[in-house]
Amino acid sequence: MGPVIVTDSLTKKYKAKAVVDQIDLRIPGGSIYGFLGPNGAGKSTTLKMLLGLVKPTEGQIQILGKEINSKNRLAILSETGSLIEAPAYYGHLSGKENLQIICTLKNVPEKEIQRVLHIVRMEEQQTKKVSQYSLGMKQRLGLAAALLGNPRILLLDEPTNGLDPAGIQEMRELICSLPASFGITVLISSHLLSEIDQMATHVGIINQGQLIFQDSLNVLHEHSRGRLYLHTSDDQAAFRQLKNSGIPAQWRDGRLSLRLMEDSRIMRAVALLVNSGIGILRLEQQQMSLEDIFLQLTGKQVSL
Amino acid sequence: MLTRCIHAEKQKLRHTLILPACILIPIIPAVMGTFNYMQNLEILKSQWYSLWTQHTLFYASFFFAPLIGLYCSYIWRLEHRYNNWNKIMTAPVPVSDLFFGKLVWILLITLMTQLWTGILYLISGKLAGLPGIFPPEIVIWILRGTLGAVPICCLQLFLSMKIRSFSIPVGIGLIGSVLGVLFNNEGIGIFWPYSLMLLGMNSNGTKDTVLKDFFPFLISVTAFSVFFCLTAIWNLKHQDVKA
Repeated sequence: MGPVIVTDSLTKKYKAKAVVDQIDLRIPGGSIYGFLGPNGAGKSTTLKMLLGLVKPTEGQIQILGKEINSKNRLAILSETGSLIEAPAYYGHLSGKENLQIICTLKNVPEKEIQRVLHIVRMEEQQTKKVSQYSLGMKQRLGLAAALLGNPRILLLDEPTNGLDPAGIQEMRELICSLPASFGITVLISSHLLSEIDQMATHVGIINQGQLIFQDSLNVLHEHSRGRLYLHTSDDQAAFRQLKNSGIPAQWRDGRLSLRLMEDSRIMRAVALLVNSGIGILRLEQQQMSLEDIFLQLTGKQVSL
Repeated sequence: MLTRCIHAEKQKLRHTLILPACILIPIIPAVMGTFNYMQNLEILKSQWYSLWTQHTLFYASFFFAPLIGLYCSYIWRLEHRYNNWNKIMTAPVPVSDLFFGKLVWILLITLMTQLWTGILYLISGKLAGLPGIFPPEIVIWILRGTLGAVPICCLQLFLSMKIRSFSIPVGIGLIGSVLGVLFNNEGIGIFWPYSLMLLGMNSNGTKDTVLKDFFPFLISVTAFSVFFCLTAIWNLKHQDVKA
């Protein structure tokens, strides 16, 4: 399936500052697209522009092949479900009454309510006032509301924020099941790399308003070129020896390492050290974690 | 889609305090007006007409616009709280229908408030020992006052949409109607939205002072209402949503 959400040079400026800067999103149909970035990177603003809540300063947006404008607005919105920022609800009404309002606005039959409540496992609490719900229940109600009317696209902004570990796990399983069960394309934003790693098929990384990476999750993993750590009888002497022989060794945090390379070159490096009288104690191969990749891409520590 | 929006507003207003406010608050100016009338019987000799001057003195000049402001703040507070702006603005309905869906309910509640005030006036008159029933033109004044209230409803609904505070639009309503009294005294009320309801109600007057100028009144009511609605809808269409 081709991309269902495409943006070209999408930009939002507040005064002179670009919060979202020339973003070209390509979100494939049927994917779970993880939109990753630190807090304040421009994730929410981008999602809000996709929904027409925030007007772009520059650039175009196409959703399901239709350009966002006042003529296509309703057609696009009726194919889209969303959960933006914190869950939206009327506290004085029950969960079911809240969903009835969405049904009215979306022109969806009320029998849909039981279906979506079943998906989010909220049938038991539907008659309770939403003001008495826990945050996790409100989030699930928000997801149920987003699912009303069988949208083809679901935009979820940090849907696991503030949930307890069990709630996070539940929400994840739910989101992961959506493309297969209902053919929904999911765009989910998060500042948690581990979360995106567990859910997404595709990843876009945004930092300070700029999209610095966009591809499938596999490609991101391929970025994680590993390193080979060497423990020798004299690491510093070994480092000098390798450097002098033109082998790209690195000295970081008091440890000697080599970039992973062909076996023959590793053999050469080891032979060199042994022949210079330096004993090899251990060779340790280490993959770069996604956190390291993120750090490399953004130069910024991400919360985990 | 407007009918869907009207229906959705009805669903939102379940279990809310709008109806009690509509019933209880107009009792206050009715009691004040009747009390004032009873205290000044030696100068107020026109019976039902005199009672009308005292009722409208409090109700139309001080209570009415803030009360409409309260309805409007209430109906928008539902959206200002708990991120509901995101929800309504991503619903597949035209934004103008969102506004008009609310306006329809505000107008209906306003009509109810006016009719209830008429009933309170009748009850007060009977309790004050006035003979018979009030003169029929009072009914026309009430309905004409309701017409004059339409621009206030549109303006207050716009103000409460833009201003997240519950009380500031209510305060603006109070200031607006006090100025409305002053502008009416100067004879320029037709150019001030808050004056129109007072003019329509023939507020604080015993003789009908407005009817001969009904067409300018009608034009002013229409122009202000259309202007406030268009401003609100333009805002909804072009401003970024802040939930």
